Amino acid sequence: MEKAAAEKAAPLELLGSWASSYTHRVQLALRLKGLEFEYAEEDLGSKSDALLRHNPVYKKVPVLVLPDGRALAESAVILHYLDDAFPAARQLLPADPFDRAVARFWCHFSDDKLGPAVGAVFASTGEEQEAAVRQVHENLALLEAELREGAFKGRRFFGGDEVGFLDVVLGCGSYWLAVFEEVTGVQLVDAEAFPLFHAWLRDFEAQEEVRETIPSVDRLLDYARGLRQMLLAMAGGAGAAAPADAPTAALPAPATADIAVDI
Amino acid sequence: MAGGGDLKLLGVWTSPYVIRVRVALNLKSLPYEYVEENLGSKSALLLASNPVHKTVPVLLHGGRPVNESQVILQYIDEVYASNGPSVLPADPYERAAARFWAAYVDDKVGAAWQGMLFTCRTEEERAAAVARAVAALQTLEGALEECSKGKAFFGGDAIGFVDVVLGGYLGWFGAVDKMIGRRVIDPAKTPLLARWEERFRAAEAAKGVVPDDADKMLEFLPTLLALSAPKSK
Repeated sequence: MEKAAAEKAAPLELLGSWASSYTHRVQLALRLKGLEFEYAEEDLGSKSDALLRHNPVYKKVPVLVLPDGRALAESAVILHYLDDAFPAARQLLPADPFDRAVARFWCHFSDDKLGPAVGAVFASTGEEQEAAVRQVHENLALLEAELREGAFKGRRFFGGDEVGFLDVVLGCGSYWLAVFEEVTGVQLVDAEAFPLFHAWLRDFEAQEEVRETIPSVDRLLDYARGLRQMLLAMAGGAGAAAPADAPTAALPAPATADIAVDI
Repeated sequence: MAGGGDLKLLGVWTSPYVIRVRVALNLKSLPYEYVEENLGSKSALLLASNPVHKTVPVLLHGGRPVNESQVILQYIDEVYASNGPSVLPADPYERAAARFWAAYVDDKVGAAWQGMLFTCRTEEERAAAVARAVAALQTLEGALEECSKGKAFFGGDAIGFVDVVLGGYLGWFGAVDKMIGRRVIDPAKTPLLARWEERFRAAEAAKGVVPDDADKMLEFLPTLLALSAPKSK
């Protein structure tokens, strides 16, 4: 952004949570597009007036506040907005309408199927967890098949040669996979069973903007261990339901256990 | 007029997700072949076109499948941009607001709709699901006021994205109204939406695709319940 333009109006402001995958999607998108923004960390146990005012419907992060004071919520909505509002910046969605439809379809899959399945693994034990693990593997197998012989055949990233919308969406949840594996002792992404997905994730995580965005593994592990303890202590019902609302929750719920809609 | 490739829609006549796509196709005056699927015996074409979910709607354009109703709506808008008005507004912020509210509709109204018809086991559970829908509709009443700016629809003078998404549920709301003896879209609680419903149902694009025969829908309900198949979104 040119200095003169930056001085005229307040920059974009992002309200987020450091452990929220959905927040990371927006941070990564902004960095990939070279858009300046200010970041405000929300304490999800004690939400700011600004957050509650800007997202009264869901009261969740991320929220993008525009220079004119209007705000947007829901990460996928925000990602689409950034493409629309900044047409000269790098576009994250593909240009072709059919390719856009494919990217959107798999974004829904990530949010409606894969994400909740991973969250279920994390929030459960024993047979329930085994069933959840099978679900994750079924979901990963579908993505692996698309990479191998389907919509994304031959591509380094879902977006093609470069990271795009679907990489941001899938990638900003997938870094949790290794963390959850470590904390639960369960294998989720076997490099032999899912070689292309594994390779994609490695290449995604090596991108400069991704490394700037994803928190350190140590921080994520600490957080995940604490959250797993809390979830298992609470277990007795469907463990993945809204732990962020629990009175004991000083920890924000990870996005994979979060049932916010992101379309 | 953008052409290039035939359009075929696989659907079920009662599905809110199919109905909204049909309204969108009508708004663009796009001819298409409609195929009524038997959910108890899904066609090979459906299974091949949507192997992940095996649900309707599926829009086939020149034989290539586009799945998921909100994805299909945006696809139609983008491919047929020169065929009359878009359901999504031009302004980036307004587009985002439309996407946000459309997502909210399927999140809150959609979940309640499932509950009031397909997953409830008692009349109490049905009533609770209706209450959840009513609460969501009250939020949407505010959204309608904001988005319409005094005009007829969420999209303003013309039917837009949120209108089409919410409008898909009207057929079933009519059936539920009959089941419970009162209106889901209650003019006392959500007067703007009640008037919106009348206008939407009366629109040319809704004719013949938004069901208005509650009895016919209620007759079909046991068939759907027997299948217990989750609908595509």
